[in-house]
Amino acid sequence: MSHHTLSSTAKRIYWLGRYLERTENTARLVSVHANLLMDLPKRMPLGWRPMVDITGSRTLFDSLYDDTNENNVARFLINDIRHPGSLLNSLKWARENARTLRGIIPNQAFEYINELHLFGREHLGEPLSRTRRVAGLSDVTEFVQRIEGFMSANLLHDAHWNFLRMGNFIERADMTSRIIDVGTDNLLESAVELAPFADIQWRSVLLSLNAVQSYNISVQEPIQQGAVLEFLFRDPRLPRSLLYSLNSLRNSLRALPRHEKALRSVNRMRRHLQHAELHLLGGETLHTFTDTCQKELAEVHDVINRSYFEFTPRRRPQRKSARGGIKNRSERLNAKER
Amino acid sequence: MTIRWNTYQADSVWDELITPKGRARKGARNLCRMLAKLTDDEISARKSAAALAIRSMGITFTVYTGEGSSSIDREWPFDIIPRLILKEEWDEIGTGLKQRVKALNRFIDDIYHDQEILDARVLPREYIEKSREFRPECVGIHPRYGVWSHVCGSDLVRDIDGKMYVLEDNLRVPSGVSYMLENREVMKRVFPELFEDYVIHPVDDYPDQLARCLRSLTDVRSPQIAVLTPGIYNSAYFEHAYLANAMAAQLVEGSDLVVGADDYVYTRTIEGLIRVDVIYRRIDDLFLDPEVFKPESTLGVPGLMRAWRAGKVALANAPGCGVADDKVIYTYVPDMIRFYLNEEPILPNVPSYRCVEKDQRDYVLDNLDKLVVKPANESGGYGMLIGPQASKNERKEFSRRILANPRNYMAQPMLTLSTAPTLIDHHAEPRHLDLRPFILSGKQIFVTTGGLTRVAMRKGSIVVNSSQGGGSKDTWVVGFA
Repeated sequence: MSHHTLSSTAKRIYWLGRYLERTENTARLVSVHANLLMDLPKRMPLGWRPMVDITGSRTLFDSLYDDTNENNVARFLINDIRHPGSLLNSLKWARENARTLRGIIPNQAFEYINELHLFGREHLGEPLSRTRRVAGLSDVTEFVQRIEGFMSANLLHDAHWNFLRMGNFIERADMTSRIIDVGTDNLLESAVELAPFADIQWRSVLLSLNAVQSYNISVQEPIQQGAVLEFLFRDPRLPRSLLYSLNSLRNSLRALPRHEKALRSVNRMRRHLQHAELHLLGGETLHTFTDTCQKELAEVHDVINRSYFEFTPRRRPQRKSARGGIKNRSERLNAKER
Repeated sequence: MTIRWNTYQADSVWDELITPKGRARKGARNLCRMLAKLTDDEISARKSAAALAIRSMGITFTVYTGEGSSSIDREWPFDIIPRLILKEEWDEIGTGLKQRVKALNRFIDDIYHDQEILDARVLPREYIEKSREFRPECVGIHPRYGVWSHVCGSDLVRDIDGKMYVLEDNLRVPSGVSYMLENREVMKRVFPELFEDYVIHPVDDYPDQLARCLRSLTDVRSPQIAVLTPGIYNSAYFEHAYLANAMAAQLVEGSDLVVGADDYVYTRTIEGLIRVDVIYRRIDDLFLDPEVFKPESTLGVPGLMRAWRAGKVALANAPGCGVADDKVIYTYVPDMIRFYLNEEPILPNVPSYRCVEKDQRDYVLDNLDKLVVKPANESGGYGMLIGPQASKNERKEFSRRILANPRNYMAQPMLTLSTAPTLIDHHAEPRHLDLRPFILSGKQIFVTTGGLTRVAMRKGSIVVNSSQGGGSKDTWVVGFA
C-alpha cells in the first residue's frame, strides 16, 4: 500500500522547522544586540527600538510597554507570552508541533525539543538578570543547533525532511533580510557623530548571523557595507545568505510533487536577487529592497501553503479548532504583521 | 520474600492459577514451579526488564489530569505473571463469542430495517425509541454483510463457581487490543524460557486479521484504509497509531479528510487528494459528521454520513451500532440468540435486573447493598454503584436516580471476580481480573486467542479500568506440546 504524506503532517513539520529556526534567531539577535550596545557611546540614538522593529511588532509592543528600554524589549522578545513571536512562544509551538509528530519524527527528536522547551521555561522565565539572560540565550542557541544536527543525521531525507528544511530556510532568509534592514535603517541615516561606528554596526550584523569568521575567510576585505551586503545576500556558500536559502528551497521543492507554482515563485525571487545592483543600495533604497525581499518570501510561503497544506477549496468557513492553534496564530503573524 | 504458593490465599475465591488447596491448576504447573524458584533479585531483574521494555517500546496510556487538554502519558502498568486459559476452554468461549456477536449484528441490522424483534415483542419498542444510542439517521442503510459492529470487545468475568460470564459487549469503539499485543511482546523479552515449555497460541495476527476484515468491506482491489482518530490528546491515541502502523494504514484526523462533490472521501496529502475506501473510525458517532450530528464537532468530517449512505466509503464500526451497546439491551442478548439464530446461548449473561420492570425494580431497590447498579450508556466503569462498598447516602442517591429514570439502569449481583497471582513487591497476592477478547466481523468472523486481561491492582478492588488504577497481564491460551 502506498503511503502519502498528509498535508497536515507536512504543515506541522514545516512549522516545526520555522519555530526552531526562529528560536535560534531570536536568541542570537538579542545577545548580539546587547553586545553591540556596549561598544557604542552612551548618549546615542540607537537603543533597543530596532529589536522591536526587526520582529515587525511595533504596534503590539507600544500597546504593552511605555518605555523602549533594555528590560522591556528583552522581556518582549524572550518571555512575554502576550507576544506571539517571543522566544518562549516559539519554543512552545515548536514543542506542540513536535508532539503531534511523534511516530513520524524520531522519538529522540521529540525528547530533545521537549527538553529545550523545559529548559527555556526554567532558565528564561521571569525575572531575568542580564547575566542569566546572556547565559540562557547562548545555551538555547546551542541546544537548537544540536537538535538540527540530530535531525539532519537521523531523519530519513524524504518528503518530511524537505518540509522541515523549507521551514528552516524561509524563516532564515526572512530573518537575514530583517537583520540587514535594521543594520541600515536606524544608524546610517542618523547623527553624524555616529559615522565612525558604522563599521561596528555592520560587524554586529555579521555577528548576529554568526558570520564574521566566514566573512573574513571568504571576502578578505575589511568589513564595510558593500561587501557585507554582497556576502549576506548573494554568497552561495554562506548558509545564512539569502541566495543559499533560496537554493535550498529550490532543491527541496524539486524533490517534492506538485512543485511547479512554488518553484516558479522561488525562481522569480532568485532572479530578482541575482540581478539587484547591491552596490548602488543604501539608506532608503536598501530598506525598500529588503522590504521587497520579505514580501517575496511571504509570497513563497503563501504558495507553499496553498500548494501543500490548504489546497482544498473549503465548502464552509474555516472552523476553529484547538489543534488549529498550533500554527494559525503565528501563521497570521507571519503573513501579515511581519 | 519470594513466591511461596503454600501461603498464597486462594481459598475464598476462584483463582486462575492456584486451587483452593494451594496446588497449581492444570496447565499452570510449570509456570508456578518456575516462579517459585526465582530469588528476590531475579524477580526484581525481571520486573525491571519488563519496565524497560515498556519504556523503550513507548507503551503508554493517557490519563486526564483535569480540565481541557491537560493530560499525561503514563507507562502501561503491567504484571509479569501471565494468566493462563486452557485451549479447550478457550475454543468453547470463542464459539460462544462468535455466536453472540453474530446475533448482536443481526439485531442491529433488524432494528434499522424491519424491526421484527420488536414486532415479536421479544423486547419492548420503547426501549429502542428511548435509547440514547438509536440513530434515526441510520434507518434503511445496508452495510455489507449486514454487519454493523465490525470490532467488538466483550468483557468476560469468571465468578466464584469457575464459570465464565459475559459482563458487557463493547460494540462502538472498544480499545485495548494494542495492549494485548504489546503485553505479549514484553513477556517474550521477560520470560523467553517459558515460551519453550509451553505451546502458547500466538496473538500477533490481529492487525492482519483486522486489515483483512476492513478490506472485505469494499470491492476496491487494493483499498486505501484510514484509521480516524480524535487526535493526540485522546486516551487511546497510542492504540490508534499502533494499529495504523501495524496495518500500514494511514492515521488521520477529521481535518485530514474531505468529502468531494462526488460523495467520495479523500485525504489531503502533499500529492493532492487521495481517495479513501475504508475508514476504521475511533471517534464516537456523534462527532463523526457535523452536518448530521453535533454541528460544533471539529473531530469529524462534514459529509461523511452522506458518503457512507451512498456506499462510497465503508465505516467500521458503522454509526448507530451502539444501539446494542446499552446495558439494558444487553439483558436481552440471550433472547436475541434464540430469536435470530434459533440456538441456545453458549456463554451466559451475568444475571441482571431491569429497573424498568416494576417487580425487578422493587427487588433492586430493596437489595441495593448487595447489587451493582449500572447506567445504560456509560463505559469505563463510570456512573455505577457498587452496593456492598457504597455508603448509605450513596445508595439513597441511587434509589432516587433509579426512580427518576428507571429505563436508564440495570443491576447485577456483586460477582466475586476470579483472581490470579500478581506480583506485589516480591511476593504473589491474588488480585481480581477480567478478560476482554476482541471479535472481528466482516466477510468472516474472527476471535482473538485470549484477549486483554485487566487486573485491579488494589487489594480487594474489582475496578480494572486503567483510568482507575487497573493494570494488565499477558493472557496465555495454552495447549500441550
